[in-house]
Amino acid sequence: MKLIARTLAVALVLTGAVASTQISSASTTAKVSVARNSAMPVPRCAPDDPNACGIAN
Amino acid sequence: MTQDALVNTLSYLEPILCAMVLMVLLRSKEAKKYLNLVALLSVKVLSSAICLAILYSAASWRHVLEPHLAYQTYFYVYWISYALEALLSLLVIYSIFKLAMSPLKGLQTLGILVFRWVAVISIAVAMGVAFSPHLAGVKFMVAMITQLQQTSSILTLCLLLFVCFAIRPMGLSHRSRIFGVSFGLGLLAVTNLVQSAWLSHGSDMKAAFSIVNGVAICLTLCVWSAYFAFPEPKRRLIVLPTTSPFLRWNQISLALGDEPGYVAVGGIPPELFAPAELEVMRRASAKMLPMPEPVEAIPAQATSTIMQSLTA
Repeated sequence: MKLIARTLAVALVLTGAVASTQISSASTTAKVSVARNSAMPVPRCAPDDPNACGIAN
Repeated sequence: MTQDALVNTLSYLEPILCAMVLMVLLRSKEAKKYLNLVALLSVKVLSSAICLAILYSAASWRHVLEPHLAYQTYFYVYWISYALEALLSLLVIYSIFKLAMSPLKGLQTLGILVFRWVAVISIAVAMGVAFSPHLAGVKFMVAMITQLQQTSSILTLCLLLFVCFAIRPMGLSHRSRIFGVSFGLGLLAVTNLVQSAWLSHGSDMKAAFSIVNGVAICLTLCVWSAYFAFPEPKRRLIVLPTTSPFLRWNQISLALGDEPGYVAVGGIPPELFAPAELEVMRRASAKMLPMPEPVEAIPAQATSTIMQSLTA
C-alpha cells in the first residue's frame, strides 16, 4: 500500500514536471493554453467574437 | 456514445458529485478543518450550475438568450470562477500543510513562513509574466490566471510529494483525509498541467481533452467523497528517534520563534520612571558604593611627625 501510494505520487509529480516544461515553451505564444478542471468547454475566443465561439452549436 | 454526449454527461455529473462531496464533508463534521475545501467546492458547484444553464439556454432557447450575450456571460463566469478556484486551491494547500504539520509546531511555523513567501512571490511572478506589450484587458486576465493556476499546480505537487514521504513522522496513514485531499489535489494539478500543454496545440472550444478533464475531476470528487464518508483512523502516537532530523529541526524552529528579551542601554529620561522606582534605584546604587575604611586612632606622636614633614 505504502509503495503503491509512493509510486503513484512520484509518477504524478514527474508527469507534472514534464508537462510544465512543455507549457513554458507554449506560453510564449499569446494563445489561451489553460482550462479549468472541468469537462465544460473552454472559452478560447475573445468575448466579442462575431461567431460567439460556436456556443449555439 | 459520441464525444459530445460523453462531455455533456461528465459536465452534468461534475456539479452533482461536487454537491455530494460537500454534503458528505458537512456530515462528517470536519467542515471547520477543511473550510477552504468547502469554499472551493462551493465555487465549483455554483460556477458549474451557471455555466451549464448558459450553455443549455444558448443551444435550446436562442430566442431567450442571444448567443453573443450568452458567450460573453459564459466567458466571464468561466474565467472569474477559474481565478477564484486558483486562489482557493492555494488556500487549500496552505490549510492541508498546516493540518499535516500540527504535531510539530516549530516546523509548522517555519513551513508556514516559507509557504507565505513562496505564495506571494509566485503571485507576483504570475502577474509579472502576464505583463507583456501585446497582452491587455481580457488577454492579460487570461494570461495571469494561467500563470496563477500553473503556480498553484506546482505547489500542489510539491505538497503531495511532501505529504507522501513525510506521512509516517507526522503520525498519518494513507487512509488519512489529509493524504486523500492531497492526492485529489495532485491529480487535478497534473491534469491541469498536462492539458495546458495539450490545449496549446488545439483550437476548438470543445477539445477532446474535455473528456480526460471531466474524468479526472469526477475521479477526484469520488476519492474525496470516499475519504470523507468513511471514518478517519486516529493519528498514531508519534515516536521519533532522538537523532531524527524532524525532531532536531522542530526544536531549532521552536527556539527560533521565541520572543527575545530587551535591555534599555541609554537615552532613558528620568521622567520615564515612577518616584518609587527612582527611590529603589537610588538605594540600590547607594549600596553599590564602596564602603569607607574605618578610621583608626592615630597616635599623637605620629600626627606631629606628619605635620612637621608637611611644613618642611
